[in-house]
Amino acid sequence: MSQVQVGRKTYQMPPPDGFAVAHFITVTDVERSARFYEKIFGGRILTMGNSEGAPGFIQIANTWLIVYFGGGPTPDKPMVTLSVPADPDSVSSFMNIRVADIHACYELWRSRGAEFLTEPKDKYGETRCYIRDPDGYIIEVGQSKPAFAYG
Amino acid sequence: MSELKSATDQAQVEQKIYQMPPKDGITIAHFITVADVARSLRFYETVFGGRVESRGDSKGAPGYIQIANTWLIVNVGGGPTPDKPTVTLSVPPDPDKVSSFMNFRVADIQACYKLWRSRGAEFITEPKPKYGETRCYIRDPDGYIIEVGQSNPGVTYG
Repeated sequence: MSQVQVGRKTYQMPPPDGFAVAHFITVTDVERSARFYEKIFGGRILTMGNSEGAPGFIQIANTWLIVYFGGGPTPDKPMVTLSVPADPDSVSSFMNIRVADIHACYELWRSRGAEFLTEPKDKYGETRCYIRDPDGYIIEVGQSKPAFAYG
Repeated sequence: MSELKSATDQAQVEQKIYQMPPKDGITIAHFITVADVARSLRFYETVFGGRVESRGDSKGAPGYIQIANTWLIVNVGGGPTPDKPTVTLSVPPDPDKVSSFMNFRVADIQACYKLWRSRGAEFITEPKPKYGETRCYIRDPDGYIIEVGQSNPGVTYG
């Protein structure tokens, strides 16, 4: 079973009630992407999927990454086409990994082969850097300044 | 011995509690560039029952909203910035050309379809059967697609 606990609630995939949120990315090579997220972030590969339409599932921290090839349109999204990023420098959405110790993550993930755009840099309220995944997606890595709380 | 180890691993998984910001390790959120932070927060709060944790500010702090097991972070576009000198953020220029999206896995897709539609969500189609699941898609206020999917009975992961 694949489950995570956030606050007082436990979330399972697939959910027995309510819903659980995952992140989907279109990829060129399901196995290459699954291995990347497993190796760099310690993700747990739940399935590599298959060529009949089942995607790859990787549990990472409190969520799941779902990876599959592009294509479409499909009957449930008749005008939408999925593809890997056409221009990796023009971005609208991305996975955002919030960390407790950004310098430790930077060193560890770089030692495992992650390519960072820059070293961690100070920004308003946080310290931040970005990784490129094998398809060119950016992954934000950010540590909030001490005493910064939400909610 | 292997049974004991497996039971221990299981207990450790269950004991790990994720929070934002994380006190140790990592917690994963999803970022979207939006035209209007307040409008997007209201949408995700109203439709999905998300909990707004920060409304952001004009100095660059983004909006934060907790939704189920994760957090959605919303902010206006811009850039490049010193930490991504080649990258520009914008709302989707063509909402029909998509690479990544939030994927809501649900226990009862017909119930979610009715409830979320009653709260103002615009679905592209009604739920349709696909290989291994039933699926439909919502458009958010900036045109992002949100997948809503229910796995067929008997499907498990891990």
